[in-house]
Amino acid sequence: MTRRMIIAALALGGVGLATYLAMYKLGMIGQLACKVGQCETVNLSRWATFLGLPVAVWGVGFYLVLFLVALTGTTERYVHAAWVSHALLALTGWGVLFSTWLTYLELNVIHAVCMFCVISAVLVTVTFLVAVLEWKNRPAEQS
Amino acid sequence: MAKDRMDAGRGRSGKPVKPGSSTGGGSKRRVEVRPSDRRPFYVLLGAIAVAAVAFIAWQMTQSRSSGVITIDANTPLPEASGYLMGNAAAPVQIIEFADFECPACGSFATLTEPDMRKRLVETGQVSYRFLDFPLPIHANTWDASMAAACANEQGKFWEMHDQIFATQDQWATQATNRPKAVFSRLARAILLNESQWDDCYDSQKYKLNIEANRREGERRLVQSTPTFVIGDKQLLGALGFDQLKAFVDSAAAKAAAKPATPLGDTALSKSAPPGKSKQ
Repeated sequence: MTRRMIIAALALGGVGLATYLAMYKLGMIGQLACKVGQCETVNLSRWATFLGLPVAVWGVGFYLVLFLVALTGTTERYVHAAWVSHALLALTGWGVLFSTWLTYLELNVIHAVCMFCVISAVLVTVTFLVAVLEWKNRPAEQS
Repeated sequence: MAKDRMDAGRGRSGKPVKPGSSTGGGSKRRVEVRPSDRRPFYVLLGAIAVAAVAFIAWQMTQSRSSGVITIDANTPLPEASGYLMGNAAAPVQIIEFADFECPACGSFATLTEPDMRKRLVETGQVSYRFLDFPLPIHANTWDASMAAACANEQGKFWEMHDQIFATQDQWATQATNRPKAVFSRLARAILLNESQWDDCYDSQKYKLNIEANRREGERRLVQSTPTFVIGDKQLLGALGFDQLKAFVDSAAAKAAAKPATPLGDTALSKSAPPGKSKQ
């Protein structure tokens, strides 16, 4: 299992998680299976919308792009492509920044913590760490 | 192409290379993965996808079944009584048919009602009765009425009424399709027994009371909210305090000149308020 495969697997898990939250936000699921924290308070707060779209929908897009880039990077054609390592680092770096901001809002503004948001934050952080390792050992740039 | 495929999975020396290991020197790294080595990866992706789909499907089934409650089919429709503030025997009775999600009702509740309470209700000049008139265009208004009815069960209808109107933008249809989270927060804010309120809300036990209030409005040909009944006048739209006071004075003068049952009313003037509505 290569690092890119690990990132792809984690990202696919993220797609599932974000899809679940997005479906809740769009009214397709009645209640969140939130055993810990106050998921509904967080997901119904005004911070749960970013640039006119639910944050969860942005999450689906983010994880989907991350998954596709990582999956592409595992194919024979792109397994040596350095741009994949750069893209994975950039994407997961952005994901960590965004998750940090959301976690700050949960703790200091909304005063409620969503279990699924924490899982997503951990997921994206682990993905970022794997992406850093991948980037350090990236294939040489093709001239 | 065929050569490429054959080379995949082999290092420069032509020997198979472990996944993740490096061949070549310096910063160059060539990770080769045999097609057979990808199999566990694809199996893992498949397992994750299946688990996610199964979880979401299960959640959708759960939420659908939790939307059904069982009630006694023989439960009679209660009499419309609304929620009373002040002395029921006051010279003038103000009745409001209101929809919690209607902006004009919110405007009356937040701008005019505080003055009305202080200057008319607390001085004993009027009694004020609130009747739900949930409009079909407002998807969350029934939930709001139920949240208020369950607060009334604990003697805090008016506290909840005030909070619901003050936070209308947070739970209205445009803001959410799951208003309960907001109402739960309001229930906490006014120090209700949360589990009791929660059980009451989920059971929808006051739905028939709300329906009775709405039907009373229909009986009186109420078509929009807020609609006020003051003396022999039925008035549409939110009233400012001065307008309200003028109608109250007029009704009080008529009542003093000709003491009679206000409005020829039946149920509302006789019935006690349900639960513990107070003031």
